Amino acid sequence: MSDLNQALADKYKGNFLKEVIDNVEEGDRVQMCMQCGVCAGSCPMGPHWEHTPQKIFMMIRANKREAVLASDSMWMCTSCYNCIARCPRELPITHIMHGLATYAKRLNLVPKTQPTAKFAQLFWNNLSSKGRVNELKLGISLYFMNGFGEGVKTAMANQKLGLNMLKTKRMAINEAWGGHSVKDKSGFHAMLKKAAEIENDTIEANSK
Amino acid sequence: MADEIKTGAYICKGCDLGNRLNTDQLEMIATREGRVAVAKSHDFLCGAEGVKMIQDDIDSGEANRVVIAACSRRAKTDAFSFSEIPTSRVNLREGVIWVRPEDDESQETTQEMAEDYVRMGCAEIKFMATPKASEEQGTNRHVLVVGGGITGMTAAIEAARAGYQVSLVEKSDTLGGTTGQLYKRAPTRAPYADPEDTGVTELAKMLEDDDKVSIYLNSVLSSSDGAPGRFDVEISASNADGSTDAAQTISCGSIIQASGQIEYDANKLTEFSYSEAPDVITQLEMEALAKAADGGAIKRPSDGKEVQHVVFVQCAGQRSDKEGHLSYCSGHCCNTSIKQAMYLKDNAEKAAEGSSIDVQTTILFTDLRTPGAGGEDFYRSGQNKGVTFRKGTVSAVDKNGNVTFSDLILDEEDTIDADLVVLATGMIPNSGRNNEREDELSAQKTQLEAENKEVPQEVLDEIAIPVESILNLKYRQGSDLPQLVSGFNDSHFICFPYETRRTGIYAAGPTRRPMDTQQAQEDATGATMKAIQAIENAGKGMAAHPRAGDLSYPSFRKEGCTQCKRCMMECPFGAIGFDDKGFPEYNEARCRRCGTCMGACPVRVISFENYSIDSVGQQIKACDIPDEFDEKPRLLVLACENDAYPALDMAAQNRFEYSAFVRVIPVRCLGSVNTIWITDALNSGYDGVVLMGCKKGDDYQCHFVKGSEMAHTRMSKIADTLQTLNLEAERVAVHEVAITDIHRVPELINDMAKTIDEIGMSPFKF
Amino acid sequence: MSDIVATNETILVVGGGISGISAALEAAEAGKQVILVEKNAYIGGRVTQLHKYFPKLCHPTCGMEINQRRAKSNPNLTILTMAEVTDISGDKGDYSIKVKLKPRYVTNNCTACGQCTDAVEAEFDNEFNYGLNQRKGAYIAYNNAYPQTYVLDERIIGTDDATKAKDACPADAIDLEMQEESIDLKAGAVVWATGWRPFDANKIQPYGYDRFDNVITNVEFERMNDLMGPTGGKVTRPSDGAEPKKIAFIQCAGSRDRNYLKHCSRICCMASLKQTHYVRENITDGTSDIYYIDIRAIDRFEDFYQKVQEDDSVKFIKSKVAFITEGENNNPVLNGVDTEGYHRYANEYDLVVLAVGMEPSVNQGDFPVDIVLNEEGFIEMDEKNGGVFAAGCSSDALDVNRAVQSATASALRAVQVINQVGAVSPQNEGAK
Repeated sequence: MSDLNQALADKYKGNFLKEVIDNVEEGDRVQMCMQCGVCAGSCPMGPHWEHTPQKIFMMIRANKREAVLASDSMWMCTSCYNCIARCPRELPITHIMHGLATYAKRLNLVPKTQPTAKFAQLFWNNLSSKGRVNELKLGISLYFMNGFGEGVKTAMANQKLGLNMLKTKRMAINEAWGGHSVKDKSGFHAMLKKAAEIENDTIEANSK
Repeated sequence: MADEIKTGAYICKGCDLGNRLNTDQLEMIATREGRVAVAKSHDFLCGAEGVKMIQDDIDSGEANRVVIAACSRRAKTDAFSFSEIPTSRVNLREGVIWVRPEDDESQETTQEMAEDYVRMGCAEIKFMATPKASEEQGTNRHVLVVGGGITGMTAAIEAARAGYQVSLVEKSDTLGGTTGQLYKRAPTRAPYADPEDTGVTELAKMLEDDDKVSIYLNSVLSSSDGAPGRFDVEISASNADGSTDAAQTISCGSIIQASGQIEYDANKLTEFSYSEAPDVITQLEMEALAKAADGGAIKRPSDGKEVQHVVFVQCAGQRSDKEGHLSYCSGHCCNTSIKQAMYLKDNAEKAAEGSSIDVQTTILFTDLRTPGAGGEDFYRSGQNKGVTFRKGTVSAVDKNGNVTFSDLILDEEDTIDADLVVLATGMIPNSGRNNEREDELSAQKTQLEAENKEVPQEVLDEIAIPVESILNLKYRQGSDLPQLVSGFNDSHFICFPYETRRTGIYAAGPTRRPMDTQQAQEDATGATMKAIQAIENAGKGMAAHPRAGDLSYPSFRKEGCTQCKRCMMECPFGAIGFDDKGFPEYNEARCRRCGTCMGACPVRVISFENYSIDSVGQQIKACDIPDEFDEKPRLLVLACENDAYPALDMAAQNRFEYSAFVRVIPVRCLGSVNTIWITDALNSGYDGVVLMGCKKGDDYQCHFVKGSEMAHTRMSKIADTLQTLNLEAERVAVHEVAITDIHRVPELINDMAKTIDEIGMSPFKF
Repeated sequence: MSDIVATNETILVVGGGISGISAALEAAEAGKQVILVEKNAYIGGRVTQLHKYFPKLCHPTCGMEINQRRAKSNPNLTILTMAEVTDISGDKGDYSIKVKLKPRYVTNNCTACGQCTDAVEAEFDNEFNYGLNQRKGAYIAYNNAYPQTYVLDERIIGTDDATKAKDACPADAIDLEMQEESIDLKAGAVVWATGWRPFDANKIQPYGYDRFDNVITNVEFERMNDLMGPTGGKVTRPSDGAEPKKIAFIQCAGSRDRNYLKHCSRICCMASLKQTHYVRENITDGTSDIYYIDIRAIDRFEDFYQKVQEDDSVKFIKSKVAFITEGENNNPVLNGVDTEGYHRYANEYDLVVLAVGMEPSVNQGDFPVDIVLNEEGFIEMDEKNGGVFAAGCSSDALDVNRAVQSATASALRAVQVINQVGAVSPQNEGAK
């Protein structure tokens, strides 16, 4: 267990709901769930969830810190917003799921083989370097996420799609060299750094 | 002579009656056999011209009683309403032509049907006088309210606002009752977000300041007697030293019983350690803690520690079929627990100037019951304030506050270590003595003892528990309002919730059904409406619901009475008492005019001005009974006018046909059916008798509560009579009929016709 | 209509459903002058469309028969049908009211013989049966309708049918020249009892009420079970008329839901529990599955719930159904998660009944008088309402028993106003 994780676990001992309210985006809305389960039934990824959103909300209230944060459930969310549209209590379920995922990541509690988590990291790395998504590089790094051999196979399988994208200018080959960027890259980096600091400070402070 | 009966018979030819029936013949029958003074036909009797024809005869003195041979008595009531003139309705439309096929073959029997009904109408009218109120009315515009809780206080202030004098009797030394013990109550107005003041203090002040209201504290009813409009009530007060003052007697016109509820005894819940653990408390005890804290931190009883984690156990000893538990749901407890959790949350939030998250409140429930707009808003508000709700069933609470439960969502056992556990134990109605149950038990005991058998301990135990009477009624039928299930005072539950079985005495609040303070106040206001209405009607000698406005009342022929007291025993409304000599006293302001007494009387001395043994019996006798070889049986149907008769009418509206051999007579209630009618019918050659009344039992639909049941009991003994007459038991059938049995009622009639076909005609034809 | 006498000691009751009738009768039986205004051609409102009441499983017609008789015999009560209040002005103790009377085209001479119905040809959706069948252009809403006076649908006026009806009437009760009129009344107090309407199930997109034949509402199911209803008491699938065996009830269809009705409609749990009785009584081997969030069988109703729980043909699933699809044979398939222990399901049924809730029948903004409403559109008890008192479901989602209770209480509130008016009006001085 990381120090930060341990510190937070100690700090909020017996009151995981409070930890979620303090540290997770829209975490205060968790308490509004009335366990109807419409989110669970509405999710297109439903069958792949270990715990449904409604169950996760219940687990939070039942103090199941480890089980929630180490779960891969919230990584299943594809942001389709079906659950938010149908939730009778208007809970921002998608946001809460991402919030929980982010928090788990911060505490290094993400399951090692979680592919969505891996992709999310790749996406973030790609985006944060220049402030723009470099689709070519993102595609390549995604293909090769699980090793060279598999990457080549995936690339071959998608060859035709790639060529068509190039043809229709949906993807630019010159992106491979540098690629496009925001105007004020250093300003962008400074902004991200500041945001990270604020977030860190909040959690650090909450852990004391 | 003013009293000379002059009957006018008026036969309608409209609605195809003129084409289907020989109305000249009907006119002749009315004149020759019915001996009416005037008999006339009209093409459209309910039209202005037809009505005028009748009214002219009345005005000119040609007729002082009227027989209308047209449609059902339920139709065209506006047209055929002649002030002060007794009217008999002969049902030729719904009762004859609409239930018979229009073919030549059926013509003869259809006409015979109509002729018999005309004979019956002419026979009935001879025994119908105009009812006049008796002389015993009182109009005491004074309402007595028993119980000074929120229900009683509300009833008192509402009655005073309506302009009536009020006496409010409270057993304890202060007004407020259970609600007075609350810190706050669940909200009663938008946005239904926070607990609100109970309002008890203001209400008490208002009552004290109102010169229409007299308050009697430390007082109970030691006696009450009389009838609506003229109750006499004795109020006994006890002093602080236990001595009692001389009882004061007051008169009042009606009584509202607002005796409230008592909290379920949590000591019975051994699995929740209530008796051993000081920090396991009831909801009412939680109110006391909150009151003591008065907005500050709530401290637990054992060591005064400020509580950090409180668990609320819903449905503790309720909604359960376990021995000693309450089967019902007490209705208010979900909202009460949310409210109490809010006390903790709100107080903590105030103390921490913002977050209340450190104080944890968990409500363990199986179904969260916060209905309506306000209920759901309040539930949401509770969640918003951070109250945790978990669906689970609690198996145990130990002495240290460990609550073990099965979480039904997460499907696992869990334990919460709580500082304080609040049990939502529910309410028990404070409804007085259950006289019927007491009688039942003592009868059981007497019988067992007579048989030299051992009386079971549970019977002895139940007899041994003393229950205080609330009303101390001097009625022969018992001291308190009757109860039906779970000890709640009985009322006609759905459509007419205030209709108790003691006229002029209305139950309000949790004594009649579990409820919260808001509903109790609404209920009190409704009961007050009924209470002032009872006074107004009693003053005019008018019946209360369901025969509202009826001026007829029962009287009896003293010389024939054998003082058997059956009328007193069977009266569903406790209306009948008896005097020193054992003769009945009718107290007609208590009477609902159902006629059950008349049905009960073995010597047939009881009658109403317009409804009597004769008014029905002579109809039965007026029918023409063809001889055995005619192969025209006669079936008598006695149909309750509330449900069975309308069902027959509606069957006719749909042109559902039934046997032409039947003659239907509506009765006020099946309870009013005297067995003499049946023996008379069978003796005079009827082949079968069908009785149709309303559903009886716990889910009774009988508008006179017990009438249908009484009739069934009486008829169960008719088999003996049939035996002595040497007749088959199948010749008499009793059915419970609903008003919607539109298909079934004709079938029941046809079934009897078939039975007679099978067993043959009655040997009693002349 | 000029013969209606109304003064500031008259109570006006708006709405002739169970609440309005109860309020009107209670006040009238206490000696007050009451005018009851009802929009429909008959009194009784929504309860007349119910097959049975919970928890006694008795028939609404039974209580209504008593109420009708009370009304017929009470000289203090005037009932105006096909009438709507369009304006209320003035203050507590002294209101001026405008009432619009729609033409019925049939006079009091009507004997309810039904010959006009036989004579006309045009048919329209039968609103009494929620459009499940058709009725003629000359009709009476249902068997026991009061007043027992037929109505001509305004859509046949000016057509041959109207003349046919008139010619067929043996009582000369049809007046095709009848016009809409407006009358002015006085009243001292008003009881507002306009009741509820079923929530429009078309709005609940995921349940496909608008797309799937075999998804119906609880109010429609109620009509189907009535022997005198559109199917003669037979439960049938709208798609093929077959008798369904597997039936699902979806609770909170539109209630307790920020997307539709925020409030809990209170009655729907008990209504579905009651309807499982219909399934058992009317369908051999029929089964009922109830999908619920909480079963709100409050107070004495709990006993009813417990009896249904003992029935093997009824199952309870703690779940708000997420969405419905259509399987083979037009069978609705319910998709969702049973939250008690997380069981994902896709259950196929023959018929699905949506337990739709109740919403106030008058929209916010459509009241002819200033009135304090809560967020849900129900009337709040408030001093600002003056002498206008809400009764029944205009004040909250209520069952019949509570509606009658509320109506009786409101009758008293109105009587209090009248007694105060009476106490100060000169003709009554010294009467007390």
